[in-house]
Amino acid sequence: MKNRLKVLRAERSWSQQDLADRLAVSRQSVNAIETGKYDPSLPLAFKLADVFELAIEDIFERD
Amino acid sequence: MTSADTNRATGKGPLFYVGLMAAAYAAVAALAITGAVEGPAIYMLVIAPFGLVFPMMAAANRRIDAGGAGCIGKGEAQRRYMKRVAMFSSLYLVVLGVMTFVLKSSEPHFAIRSILALLPGLAVIGIFWAVGRLIVEEQDEFLRMLVIRQSLIATGFALSAATVWGFLETADVVFHLEAYWWAVAWFFGLGVGAAANRVQYGTWGAV
Repeated sequence: MKNRLKVLRAERSWSQQDLADRLAVSRQSVNAIETGKYDPSLPLAFKLADVFELAIEDIFERD
Repeated sequence: MTSADTNRATGKGPLFYVGLMAAAYAAVAALAITGAVEGPAIYMLVIAPFGLVFPMMAAANRRIDAGGAGCIGKGEAQRRYMKRVAMFSSLYLVVLGVMTFVLKSSEPHFAIRSILALLPGLAVIGIFWAVGRLIVEEQDEFLRMLVIRQSLIATGFALSAATVWGFLETADVVFHLEAYWWAVAWFFGLGVGAAANRVQYGTWGAV
């Protein structure tokens, strides 16, 4: 699944570790989601949406 | 933070101690094979290098705290996993030493032999249990998925190897192998699983 995590992080000047800390997951998880290697569960997708204060569909796009 | 940065920040990594342990066991094996040491002295020498597990755990914990290389995240579940594995591995070496020593030095009663022979197996079951608890306790879904994937690959590897070997043994193509070697094959399979994780997800996993 495509996503805008890298752009959204850059807009906030967050590193992958900063985002990982906000989500309470590992940096490896953020990296895997950001590079499209791993699609997060619905609860984690909602958590991402909360952290960025956006809707899920504003972060993730269909392939 | 790169792996090199993490090493500088946290001192010697866990792999350093794993390497030391492997070198120590290679030296013990060489001494035993050449006959330089014999009898109970071998068991003492086998147990001694295992003391390196403790600095290895400390190094791994420092790596966890630094959020460094490998697939290590917040780490509470992984910390507990390492403690359990170290505990059951130590127990395994001790009971294996005791079992081998007693069986070679005397002819104990059937019941004693049975209990002694069960103990190393129970210690290895403890390690399997530790992997299971890691899967249950890991809060990071990506890390959990990596452990599950690694365990499934290890299971497939060990069962496949056992099946193929069994038929080859039936046909007298290969020598007889004690069944506990399939547990060793499973642990080797965890390494195969870690490599598969690295290829597909860019990270080794947590086991």
